[in-house]
Amino acid sequence: MTTTPPGPRARLTGGVLLWYGVLGGAVAWAVHVVAAWGLDELACAAGSDRVLAMPLGRVVGLAVIVPALVTAGSLAVAALAWRRTARAQATGTQDRAYGRSRMLAVVGVWVNLLFLTIIVLGGVAVLVLPPCQL
Amino acid sequence: MATTSTPPGVSRVDLARLTEHWAESPSLRGWFSTVDHKRIGRRYLVTAGVFFVLAGLSALAMRTQLARPEAGLLSPEEYNQLFTMHGTAMIFLFATPMLFGFGNYLVPLMIGARDMAFPRLNAFGYWVFLFAGLFMWASLPFGAAPNNGWFAYAPLSSEQHNPGLHMDVYALGLLFLGISTTAASINFIVTALKLRAPGMSLNRVPLFVWAIVATAFMVIFALPALNLDNAMLFLDRRFDTHFFDPSAGGNVLLWQHLFWIFGHPDVYIIVMPGLGIVSAVLPAFTRRGVVGYPLIVLSIVAIAIISFGVWVHHMFATGLPQLSYSFFSAASTIITIPSGLQIFAWLATMLLGRLVIRVPLLFVVGFIVTFVLGGVTGTMFALTAFDQQVTDTYFVVAHFHYVLIGGAVFPMLAGIYYWLPKITGRMYHEGLGRWAFWLVFAGMHVTFFPMHLYGLFGMPRRVYTYASEPGWGGWNLVSTIGSYVLALGLLLVLVGVVHAVRRGRPAPPDPWGADTLEWATTSPPEPYNFPVLPRVHSLHPVWDERTAESTGEGATADRILSEGRVTLLTSELDARVERPVPMPESTLKPLVLAAALLVLFAALLVAWYPVAAVAAVVVAATIAVWLWPAGPSRTSGVATP
Amino acid sequence: MTDRGGIMAATGAEALSTELPAGRSTGWWGMVMFVATEATLFACLLGSYFYLRFQYGPQWPPGAIGTPELLKPLIMTAVLLPSSLPMVWAEHGSRHGRRWQLRCGLGATMVLGLTFLTLQAIEYAEKLRHFTLTTDVYGSLFYLITGFHGLHVLVGLTMIGWLLAAALSGGTIDAHRRERVRNTAIYWHFVDAVWVAILFTIYLSPRL
Repeated sequence: MTTTPPGPRARLTGGVLLWYGVLGGAVAWAVHVVAAWGLDELACAAGSDRVLAMPLGRVVGLAVIVPALVTAGSLAVAALAWRRTARAQATGTQDRAYGRSRMLAVVGVWVNLLFLTIIVLGGVAVLVLPPCQL
Repeated sequence: MATTSTPPGVSRVDLARLTEHWAESPSLRGWFSTVDHKRIGRRYLVTAGVFFVLAGLSALAMRTQLARPEAGLLSPEEYNQLFTMHGTAMIFLFATPMLFGFGNYLVPLMIGARDMAFPRLNAFGYWVFLFAGLFMWASLPFGAAPNNGWFAYAPLSSEQHNPGLHMDVYALGLLFLGISTTAASINFIVTALKLRAPGMSLNRVPLFVWAIVATAFMVIFALPALNLDNAMLFLDRRFDTHFFDPSAGGNVLLWQHLFWIFGHPDVYIIVMPGLGIVSAVLPAFTRRGVVGYPLIVLSIVAIAIISFGVWVHHMFATGLPQLSYSFFSAASTIITIPSGLQIFAWLATMLLGRLVIRVPLLFVVGFIVTFVLGGVTGTMFALTAFDQQVTDTYFVVAHFHYVLIGGAVFPMLAGIYYWLPKITGRMYHEGLGRWAFWLVFAGMHVTFFPMHLYGLFGMPRRVYTYASEPGWGGWNLVSTIGSYVLALGLLLVLVGVVHAVRRGRPAPPDPWGADTLEWATTSPPEPYNFPVLPRVHSLHPVWDERTAESTGEGATADRILSEGRVTLLTSELDARVERPVPMPESTLKPLVLAAALLVLFAALLVAWYPVAAVAAVVVAATIAVWLWPAGPSRTSGVATP
Repeated sequence: MTDRGGIMAATGAEALSTELPAGRSTGWWGMVMFVATEATLFACLLGSYFYLRFQYGPQWPPGAIGTPELLKPLIMTAVLLPSSLPMVWAEHGSRHGRRWQLRCGLGATMVLGLTFLTLQAIEYAEKLRHFTLTTDVYGSLFYLITGFHGLHVLVGLTMIGWLLAAALSGGTIDAHRRERVRNTAIYWHFVDAVWVAILFTIYLSPRL
């Protein structure tokens, strides 16, 4: 741990990182739902099983894997923020910003776990179901 | 009225100044021009209550018709209008405005502010809500009320299949109302972000405020879908566009998609503030904070977001690819986890706390029982196969009445009894309240539990009558008897409120020994809410002596702010003091603007387009005058840096 | 990065607890929330376009309408997008109390916006001879989407006109006024950004 106070750029990065830890999974999941559902339903309705010369199953699979990785990253950041702020509080710092960022980190950890579960469940469906079966 | 003894920490001079700056004249003009969030909040509660009575009477008429097979009390046309108005009014004109009424009254008090962030917008929102409600209800006496069910599926709602003004009233009425809901939501978000008392960082925000803010965010992102849908419907019906017309390339499923993109979040828009009320009521009657505060915040945030990814589960019967269902099935299944989390947190709170059995707690218990039953049938719908069997039967009717009465009406009733002393300054009659609770609780279950059964037996919803052969008559009679018991119970609630206002004994500032800031001021609060804006040191400020200290001997001039009509701006996350901001005085402009909008929508409805054009010009002119950059010269004496 | 930057500093408890966002005014938040709900509305509108398009079948636009020509919309883009620059400049001027800069910036934005609306009117006059709101679903979508955006441009221009009138009528540029300018700027940038999405949806995507 550095003992000198962080500079303005480090502060900006830190603030953005915390929000990535809290909301990264939510955004990734939103992209996942819109992309996976939109691609599947519209491609099937247009009577095609290829999107831009790639098999539909693989494209939808990508719409699962990429958001899942983003969510996993968000989870890792939230867990890190939780540990760091908890440790800082344990050393006796009474700054209430630590209490706030720690709560946001806790929320981030659990919410990312939920979103990761949803995305993974969708991924299972991609493996099991053929893309256009009615 | 409230006690007049000087609170500690403020001089008489300061109090006199505060009254001078914040009090509104008791004249008729003052009544129409008020921007006080407490008066507006009260009006929301009363107006939504009136619409609730109207929608409830519609339901009683329907239950009377359905008491026996082949009754002739209502014609099919009347029945269609009644069930549509019942649903539409309960959802749009009662549930959300009622909960926003609580929010309006309580959010500034709970966060230690002197008003909402945009007081004039707040007044405007109320007037629009009132006018939109009247606009929709006024169609009923003319036999022109919406008649397509509250979700107005195309193509039944198209001009070709449903001539007359019915669905025009629906589309325009909801567009009109949407202005109010959106304005109120923006106001809640900004108020909660910027006006919290110093020290109230995000981890010290009351759960009710979290719930209202999450609800407001859901409105911001969900309501546009409904507005667009209704705009397209109106254009299709009136100006022959083809959005929902398959013969010219349109698609009827577009209506359903857009409707449920709004509609499922709307279920949580209705229930979430109710859950917030439960979290606000419990600490007072269990003598401890709600267990697992961060987890409840998590649950509120998670539900608010995931609720946007479950809409297709209303459409499992429409024939889309299985794979595309599965993404929504996954979300629909997982959303039960945060919902369940809250229930377990409340149960744990009750187990670990010391229960004080009063009427609000009874309604909270009634809420948990009813809402969990509704949740159980809800999870059943996540199974696509089961869902397809019961779609459009009374099983669905039973399910959503358990969810909505359980999740919204019971918490509202708990909230009414809980905050009545704060709002009116009077205590309610405990015995009367208990009678009301048991009648409402019994009536609700006797009415709606049998609907599960005759739904499974195959009785479709939205039929104005039924034959005697299937044997549904007996169960329907039970439902009808239950609905009368429920109505009696609700009548007793009303009697209790009137009794309290007329005869109740004066309420002390904090009759419950509760933990949030609204109990730190007088009952009812003065127009400026708090003589000294408190400094918050923990999640339960009223249970924390440091907060009392901050408004007593520790009061500082930067939190008294008696030099004008001013409240304190604090930072978004950690509520550090930024600067005092002037607040607007009372004005008639919101009323004028709302009235001009009413003329605009009414003229559109009856196709007087020149009148509509004039009204649109008046709307634009009023906004222009409202927003003319006059500068803060009227708010004297405040140095804004 | 300085010695006080770096990954360790950025992920330390103190940096992670940086208050972000902070110090915004209520008016700023109000405008941002309003733009958020408006953006959702446009997202739903463009989403409906793609939904109806892909449900319709291979030939789009349907019938004899034909793929929209590109020249005019590209000129409109070239007019509207740069109009954000004088707005930024005007806002900058208001922050430093330079009234001439505020007036000129607002005026330039206004001219560009009016040019855009004129071009749109010319385009409508041409298109209306081929198809109207009631021809088929493509016509309904085309006029609803572009018309709704045009309405937003008009509202934005009214706001700018209002600011311009206030700037010309004198008085000091106080905090209250600066905030008005900034909020109008947010709205105007939003209207610009939406146009890019519309350009892609209506004019470019049928060529893909």
